[in-house]
Amino acid sequence: MNPYLAGFLLGLVLALTFFISGRGLGASGAIKSTVITIVGQVSPEKAQASSFFAEYFSPISPMRSWLVFEVLGLLTGAFLSGFLSGRLKLKVDKGPNIKIRTRLFFALAGGILFGIGSQLGRGCTSGAALSGMAIFSTGGFLTMMAIFGTGYVIAYFFRKLWI
Amino acid sequence: MGPLIPQGIISGELNFFFAFIIGLAFGFILEQAGFSTSRKLAGVFYGYDFVVLKVFFTAGITAATAMFFMKYLGWIDFNFLYINPLYVWSAIIGGVIMGVGFIMGGFCPGTSFAAAVIGKIDAIVFIAGMFLGIFIFGTFYPTFEPIHLGHFLGNVFIHDTLGIKQSWFLFFLIFMALIAFAVTQKIENNASRFKELLYAEKVNLRWPTFFIIVLALTAVIIPQKRASFVYEPTATALHKEILSSDRYVKYDKAAFSIINKPGDMQFIDVRSREAFENFHLPGAIHIPLHKFTDKNVKVFINELNATPVLYANASPLADKAWFFARRSGIKNVKVLEGGLNHFFDKIFTEHQWEETTDIEVLSYMRFINRARDYFLKDHYESIPSKKEPHELPTPQTREIAGGC
Repeated sequence: MNPYLAGFLLGLVLALTFFISGRGLGASGAIKSTVITIVGQVSPEKAQASSFFAEYFSPISPMRSWLVFEVLGLLTGAFLSGFLSGRLKLKVDKGPNIKIRTRLFFALAGGILFGIGSQLGRGCTSGAALSGMAIFSTGGFLTMMAIFGTGYVIAYFFRKLWI
Repeated sequence: MGPLIPQGIISGELNFFFAFIIGLAFGFILEQAGFSTSRKLAGVFYGYDFVVLKVFFTAGITAATAMFFMKYLGWIDFNFLYINPLYVWSAIIGGVIMGVGFIMGGFCPGTSFAAAVIGKIDAIVFIAGMFLGIFIFGTFYPTFEPIHLGHFLGNVFIHDTLGIKQSWFLFFLIFMALIAFAVTQKIENNASRFKELLYAEKVNLRWPTFFIIVLALTAVIIPQKRASFVYEPTATALHKEILSSDRYVKYDKAAFSIINKPGDMQFIDVRSREAFENFHLPGAIHIPLHKFTDKNVKVFINELNATPVLYANASPLADKAWFFARRSGIKNVKVLEGGLNHFFDKIFTEHQWEETTDIEVLSYMRFINRARDYFLKDHYESIPSKKEPHELPTPQTREIAGGC
């Protein structure tokens, strides 16, 4: 799909989300709910000890959250799209000059950092930056500038990964 | 009107259903836009593929423009939206960490889901990393806490931070996005060695560009409205209202409504809980003064079928409540003149009625006598209450959690 058309449609979906549910899109929050639930199930003592995991004990299960259902939809929607466009295929995307192992190592490291960063920054690229932009939130713009600004500053050092 | 679920216009039960449907569209669009390929995503930082910037900014200005005009037309009340709270340090440091994660991992959370589900192994590994990262954050939360909760500035808007009008901010945002599109398109066209990634079909962008420029100009040209709308009066209108005594309901009108037309006025007792329990007008509900700025009070009173009439023992306390109510956008709200004391003084004062044949005076006399009978304690208690006094219903509005 043309990126501008995709962006336009995504913008309409985002505005509709605010109109219906009063909140924006998100993604990392669903993982947070899952992590909290797993920790609570496996080790209630550990969950009790941290105010972060203690959400497990709130009367409403963390899995009964808007974002969990939204991400289930996201997974389904993306699968449908990949299926319809014939892109369902196990593969690793990487720059031409690195090994698959290197790519996967950095994917894991990037995931860890995104996990920490999204919790610290109260949202990821979609939840904080994009949704924040739609409602003119200063926090959203600040996080967006920090993400992309940092990306450009350090891109040079990681160029081997991609080009 | 909107947002629909936080205001209880459609049932909260449906919220998860809509979440799924919205997610479905979100995922479909992300995958179609090519966000399931990490190498395309990373391209925005190296100048060979700007799909991230194009999709992100187009979505941002589309949504921001839609929100701006929905608010302008009164379709959506920003008071009910989740506005990202601004904790300066965590917003910046969290963003920096995510920026590094983006370059290393090649994904952000939403795009990694879209990629993983169509079989990208690097995306699956990235998601595993996020699980670990969030686990680490939770485990060492006490260490992160000072940053996480540092320098809180509230739920602030960017145009307020910059000190400009919202419409002008939207205008500049669109302007900058269009420049960014033009510049990056040039760079991308020159980076010919990555052509195989850029499979998107070309479309004619002349009309969309024209349309968004017209909207940007419209936003700036249309007369500015106040940020908070729901019938909130302007300063001059409110000034006039305060000076006028239109808001007062006289004791005889109030008594008439209680006795003959209980559905006409909804009496609202603004005194303390004890005072209310001790005595209140028939059918009155209790909303203490400090509750008048609550969202659900606002919605509840605005949706009453009867005219809301505030009362206290005398006028001043009810007047204060009236002022809060008007300021927070409750329309058509009245005050019982002189409060309960004046009301009962008037009804129970023994009059020496003079002999008269004036029909007006006669009917007034008859009415006061009836009202006195009605409110005489024994009589009053023997009347089966037409409307049980009740509490303000539990909040129909839902607090919105948000974020990502």
